[in-house]
Amino acid sequence: MEAAIPINNELEQRISDAFCIFDHHGDKRIDIREVGTVLRFLGCVPTEQEINEVIAATEMEESAGDVHLSKFMPHVAQLIAERKMEPASPEKILAAFKVLDPEGKTYITKEYMSKMMMEEGEPFTQEELDEMLAVAIDPITGNIPYEFYINQLMHAPKNSIYELAEKYWTLRPKEMKRVSKWGSRLSVR
Amino acid sequence: MDAQCKLMPKLKIKLNVMGCLSAKPKPPDNTRTLRAALLIQRWYRRYRARTEIRRRYTWNIFTSLEYAGENDQVELYNFFNALLTHIPEAAAAHRPSVQRDSEISIDFNEDGEYRSDKNYDGPHLKFPLIKKDVVTLIDVFRKKKSDRLLAKYVGGILKEAAFKLKRLPNLNQASTAISKQITVIGDLHGKLDDLLVIFYKNGLPSVENPYIFNGDFVDRGKKGLEVFLLLLACFLAFPGAVHLNRGNHEDSVMNARYGFIREVQQKYRRNSEKLMLMIEEVYRWLPLGSIVNNRVLIVHGGISNTTDLDMIRSIDRGKYVSILRPPIEMAGEDGIDKTEWKQIFDIMWSDPQVGEGCKPNALRGAGTYFGPDVTKEFLAKYKLKFLVRSHECKPDGHEFTHNGQVITIFSASNYYAVGSNKGAYLKFGPQLDTQFVQYISAASKTSKLSIQQRVSIIESSALRELGARLRARRDVLEAEFAKLDPKQTGAVTVTQWSDTMERVTQMSLPWRLMRSRLAPQFTQAEPNLVNYLMTLELLDTDVIVQEAEASTSVTDALYKNKSSLEAIFHIIDKDNSGQISLEEFGEAIDLLRQYMPSAGTKAELLHMCQMMDINKDGFVDLNEFLEAFRLCDQARKHTQTSRSKSSRQSSTLVAELAEHLSIQKLTEVESDIDPRDHVSVVLSEKPKIKN
Repeated sequence: MEAAIPINNELEQRISDAFCIFDHHGDKRIDIREVGTVLRFLGCVPTEQEINEVIAATEMEESAGDVHLSKFMPHVAQLIAERKMEPASPEKILAAFKVLDPEGKTYITKEYMSKMMMEEGEPFTQEELDEMLAVAIDPITGNIPYEFYINQLMHAPKNSIYELAEKYWTLRPKEMKRVSKWGSRLSVR
Repeated sequence: MDAQCKLMPKLKIKLNVMGCLSAKPKPPDNTRTLRAALLIQRWYRRYRARTEIRRRYTWNIFTSLEYAGENDQVELYNFFNALLTHIPEAAAAHRPSVQRDSEISIDFNEDGEYRSDKNYDGPHLKFPLIKKDVVTLIDVFRKKKSDRLLAKYVGGILKEAAFKLKRLPNLNQASTAISKQITVIGDLHGKLDDLLVIFYKNGLPSVENPYIFNGDFVDRGKKGLEVFLLLLACFLAFPGAVHLNRGNHEDSVMNARYGFIREVQQKYRRNSEKLMLMIEEVYRWLPLGSIVNNRVLIVHGGISNTTDLDMIRSIDRGKYVSILRPPIEMAGEDGIDKTEWKQIFDIMWSDPQVGEGCKPNALRGAGTYFGPDVTKEFLAKYKLKFLVRSHECKPDGHEFTHNGQVITIFSASNYYAVGSNKGAYLKFGPQLDTQFVQYISAASKTSKLSIQQRVSIIESSALRELGARLRARRDVLEAEFAKLDPKQTGAVTVTQWSDTMERVTQMSLPWRLMRSRLAPQFTQAEPNLVNYLMTLELLDTDVIVQEAEASTSVTDALYKNKSSLEAIFHIIDKDNSGQISLEEFGEAIDLLRQYMPSAGTKAELLHMCQMMDINKDGFVDLNEFLEAFRLCDQARKHTQTSRSKSSRQSSTLVAELAEHLSIQKLTEVESDIDPRDHVSVVLSEKPKIKN
């Protein structure tokens, strides 16, 4: 069968756990379509574009459509250590919502939100939109009181994967220059 | 704020003329809005992924529990089989104590079966059944307040069906020549609402609309009897239009464990034994599979590298009243004909695997795992295009595997819990092109809930069931944890905790991901340590105790399956004296312990025999034997309940965990079944073929 993949520290354990939950056959392989979910579960916030990059870098040559843990783990650990795909702080999310609400009404209408989510950025599917609206909409007004919504959903994990990476992962030398504490281009200023 | 002011006028315009936006070209300053939207989308998708993960491991829990349970059952019957092999003289001398054949009289005791305050208001059936009767039955079965069908009519349907089924060959021959299409239904497991949705969407069976039902009609769901009777009624009323295949749950040994026997007992208190005998008659004559246009093989489980259709065609299938309990008559001088038995086992119990080759199915304990190479060779040998099978629940109700050559079709939606999965049925066209109709029945129950809520409900359900299984092994868990914590600090590492849980339950689950639900951290300062004492405490909380009591253990099941116990008794009773001596029992124990090391030490089991001897004459007769199993099991449950009563002072943390497990129970309010209450989608899928 497959050779066991050595797991040296908690960072690698976490990546492996998240990965293996999609490994249906016990051969340390997952479908490329699950890569996004795995990354997000670890605590990263990739764009669809970034997910495609990870897939391109880790897809198995000998078995298209699959990703093997032995390639996934080091690649993703490196990305996390470089602070890529890092989640924005609640303040940044709030600022983003405020851009969509320049008149400062403290809410966004369902129609506008739907339009934004389905047409801008990396558009939601109808299913994703329906799910979001199901929780976000205030049943009385029919609008989205975004500050309240953010507070409902914000998840600040203790022991974030980015902290683990700092502790356990040795960066490859040439990448060290690019690391910045606050991540990449998340500012909406 | 300056930047925002610059943006404002443009946005204002946007807000005022929202309806016409699509006609206008996008202004360049829109990048800020775009970035905002992107940020929100990314953030939301991260949140959603957490729910997705929970849904995944919940699924893993359910399937693991299901297969582990089956495995237990099979273990016990491996022992049974070993008894037969090792004590063949006894087996040969044994005469079945039960009447088989249609000589079973149809005198049923109808008194007090129904409401005593009014007369029977239900239908009166005359044979042969016609379409009108099927329509009547559907109407009666779907309503909550209907009178139960008179036992004599139930018996009538069973008897007629067995009689007609007996005449069929082992493999049904079906064709799309006249109908130009055929519909294949997978596991139903007592889900009458799904069957009614199928008939509602796809029409009742007829010569132009033939059906193949691929086994597992009963067990687990609450309306197994109604489903079974309805299918048999269709089989009788629409000759040639309904093909029934036997599944691994069309077996009284499985029914004892998975709920069907209990269902029959509850619904027909006075007549359940007789009815079960008649049901077994139907089981043994159900065909083993179907072939469509000589191009598609449809069996319940799958195949193995030794599956031989010619041998299968020639078997006398009537010998196998139960597949798990081999027929005593077969234990002749050479022992049981294992090759023939294996053929049946393999088609009823096997599962496809990703890797090549063929190996025994360790997860279920019976049948094989067969690889794509096995499928390819098999289909080529018999010039078949597809293998269609069921047996495994799939989130989408269906799945293509082995390069599109194997189709799994599973028709019970909400199988593990409300909202756990969709059901589907398969339609073949005249050229055997495939179309799937996917559905969820009783959709209104979950439609108002968010994905988060749905996943929470299903997750709690899974964890409760898991808790029940853990509780059954509480002593072993306690012992294992104690070994790892000699200083009795109450803590072990996360890794130690996960490994122990996996080892003791023999279930390969993502324990680390589930840890927060089953064991709190030891202290905030040391996130790597787990308080295992709280895991144990959790198993004593009301919510888990209740779940455990509602479930059926192997011993429970054994007791319910009286004929099995009787058979075991007769085998142990080598000299056929009608009584078992301690010596005879001792020999049987040695064998039992080889197959079920968890059954107890030899001393314990001998002690059990002594306890069985209720009238203290040094011998155990059949009644004492049966009674002992019942008492044994009662005693086991009693010690567990009394232990939990004494440790009622659960810590707050444990109480929180328990609260979380019970808070999400959907109250099951029974109502009339409305087949219109469903959501469905039609998929014209073609298999993705690699290379």
